[in-house]
Amino acid sequence: MSVRSALPSALDVDAFDIGRRGFLAVVTVGTLLGLGALGVAFPGSIFGTLLEVIFAKGTIGSALRRSTPIVLAAIGGIFAEKSGVINIGLEGLLIISAFTAIYAMDLSNNLWIAFFAAVLASTLLAALFAVVCIEFRADQIIAGLAVWLIALGLAPFASQVVYGAPNTDSVRTPPGMNEVLEGLPVVGGTVSSVGGLVGDGLTFVADLPVIGGLFHASVVVVVGALVEADVGVYLMFLMVAISWYLLYRTRFGRWVRASGENPKALDTAGVSVTRVRYTAVLLSGVFSGMGGAALSLSLGQFTGNGQTMVNGKGFIAIVAYLFGNYNPVGAFFSTLLFGGLDAIQTSLQNVDIGVPSPLVRVIPFVMVIVVLALVGRTRIPSAAGEHYESGEE
Amino acid sequence: MSVRDRARSALERLVAASAAERALISLASLVLAVAIGTIIILVGGRMTTCGEAAFVLTHPRPFGFPQLFRMGFCYDPVLVFDRLFIGALGDPLKRGWGPLSPFTGGAINPFRAGYDPLNAQMANTLKETTILVFTGLSVALAFRAGIFNIGSQGQMIVGGLATAVSVLWASSLVSGLAGTLVLVPFGLLVGALFGGLYGAVPGALKAYADANEVITTIMLNFVATGVVLYLVRDVFKDPDSFANQTVPLPEYALFPALVFPDPSGFSIVALAFAAGCILALYYLLTRTAFGYDIRTSGIQPEAAEFGGVDAKRTIVASMSLSGALAGIGGAVYVLMVLGNYQTGVPAYGFDGITVAILAGNNPLGVGFAAFLFGVLKSGTIVVQFSTDVPPQLVGVLRGLIILFVAMPEFFRLIGRRVLPAEPDRPGGTAVATDGGHDRDGPPPGDGTTTPRDSAAAGGEHR
Repeated sequence: MSVRSALPSALDVDAFDIGRRGFLAVVTVGTLLGLGALGVAFPGSIFGTLLEVIFAKGTIGSALRRSTPIVLAAIGGIFAEKSGVINIGLEGLLIISAFTAIYAMDLSNNLWIAFFAAVLASTLLAALFAVVCIEFRADQIIAGLAVWLIALGLAPFASQVVYGAPNTDSVRTPPGMNEVLEGLPVVGGTVSSVGGLVGDGLTFVADLPVIGGLFHASVVVVVGALVEADVGVYLMFLMVAISWYLLYRTRFGRWVRASGENPKALDTAGVSVTRVRYTAVLLSGVFSGMGGAALSLSLGQFTGNGQTMVNGKGFIAIVAYLFGNYNPVGAFFSTLLFGGLDAIQTSLQNVDIGVPSPLVRVIPFVMVIVVLALVGRTRIPSAAGEHYESGEE
Repeated sequence: MSVRDRARSALERLVAASAAERALISLASLVLAVAIGTIIILVGGRMTTCGEAAFVLTHPRPFGFPQLFRMGFCYDPVLVFDRLFIGALGDPLKRGWGPLSPFTGGAINPFRAGYDPLNAQMANTLKETTILVFTGLSVALAFRAGIFNIGSQGQMIVGGLATAVSVLWASSLVSGLAGTLVLVPFGLLVGALFGGLYGAVPGALKAYADANEVITTIMLNFVATGVVLYLVRDVFKDPDSFANQTVPLPEYALFPALVFPDPSGFSIVALAFAAGCILALYYLLTRTAFGYDIRTSGIQPEAAEFGGVDAKRTIVASMSLSGALAGIGGAVYVLMVLGNYQTGVPAYGFDGITVAILAGNNPLGVGFAAFLFGVLKSGTIVVQFSTDVPPQLVGVLRGLIILFVAMPEFFRLIGRRVLPAEPDRPGGTAVATDGGHDRDGPPPGDGTTTPRDSAAAGGEHR
């Protein structure tokens, strides 16, 4: 029996299926367009303010930056849960890697070392989680919670030990994409000359009435935000593509999905379920490590007060991949929705719209609850949360 | 014997058989967490810098044996754990007294002269214990119903603010001793009501919209924090204060401070009330039809529904009750510790999860676990005063304890290795982490997945 035939046939469509979520996404885009129309029609009103905020370059850039750690952690969560291990400790993995990245950056002053140290730390913690869950058959939810709590204590502890405060010192932040390109010998010159020409063209179009306004709102702002985005954002795009390919177009991806849907069939086909699950959980550590590094390095500091700088991003990542139906691309778009809301609420705190800022800050969390209530039951892998015992032992 | 009776007797047998094992696992987890905590303290002591080593690791040097190995550490783990556990009780022991002292010619009576068990540090420990009992019971009750309530924190602060505001309003109507007798129960009731309502929200979302309660309760914690901050800052703020807090309640509206010294923020009355709640919940779970419904839905949701339990209603009811307990915790925190509502309530709700897990979700166990965490929380302050070790260490210990409690299989493996003579109990009473029980000890031999009994984790119910 091949692994492919063991999977429910729906799974092969899974890669593109959005169904009810697609409908919700359409509704969301529709609402945004409606808001936009209202904003254009009444520039002075609250809708006008909202429109301005939404289409400011800063907002889009900040939405992308805020989404990066969440998307990366969500990708990690997808691998773990698709293989049958619910990893609720993503938050902890983000915390530990966010701290490690800054500490390593401080010691080495090398972006690559900081990045890989963070990934290593997160992967080690994920390995502990994997051993506890797979080897010692711990309850996955409670073990995940423990991972979160351990990291929540350990990172501020280490920061206090090293820096004498829960917040670390500031370190150099990674360069934006434009700086990276200009730093390259031949490419840099080309980029700046082509960029100048394109820029002139863009300015010309943007100066046109009506079309210019729309053009400015969409192309210039998005491209501008992308050009100025730091390398973490590009890492996110890359990883979304890679993980999608890995999950839906490779043999390993098929194993992962089978391990969560029908472990017995996978076992019968001669693939070790335990080994697949170990790999998947370790991968969740790798991706979350990238997320944590992107989070803290882009700000140049780790803050460890209260819920630390991660502040629930790991849990939001779980919501994001549930909403995105375990599809990395879906998770990316649902995170962007949340990251966008988060960026908008931050900008709104500076613009007075008559709503107190603590209430504005709550909007993204309320949205998550509403979305969960609307989408409701997600079809989770049928063997997720269960321990698998091979008959041979 | 009907199916229901048979199920009930089987359930009771399981509980009795596993209680000792549970306690043993919890104790072993604590010891292991302390052991790893020691390593963390030592590593941390190497990473930081200090003038003089607080702790030196070396080997004995009999007969002028040359010193081969000597390593200094900035933190002394022995001192840390001494302060953490002994300091929290107000230093009851004589200087230099150890468990072996009576055998080596030392004093038999371990208590130092002039030790007063009613000291301020002990009051602080019991104060923390009292609050933790409520959040611990809150999480434990939901757990028994198969629901993972991470939202105790949010339910607690909602209940606390409601209590502070409504008791302030009511305190103008009555006063004196009669005021205390009326206002304190009133405040607890309001806290329970609002906490219960806030707990019912994720319950209803789970029951009727299939929304995973782990996610919704976490999100509702953030929502509660934001909304409560807004209410305290902009609506109910004490105009005479710069801090975000409500108007202080009059003395007669608070829990009276008896027995213990006055300014400790601890009332033995509240502790007695907490003990009463433990017994009441124990009775509810083990002796009433509703408690039976809760437990069966937690262990075997399908069977419970087959036996006539309305699953959706049970979910909402247990979440409401769980939220009410957390809300009472918030009310007690306001009426005993703060005297008004202030933002920045410590994470009692999250500690409640630890307490419940450590107690195996048994209400009686919650009492002991809450005291242990009361010691840890109160001891943290002593550690902060008397050592340089960062207090976040206690957070790490908390996580480690949960991690070890989560894997009873680990201890069983060790047990088997240490005591190979003891035969495996076939079909034994393996304890699941949430206080439920694996249906059969060894997994079925046909290689299928082992049935996961506890719906607590909610894997199938997202």
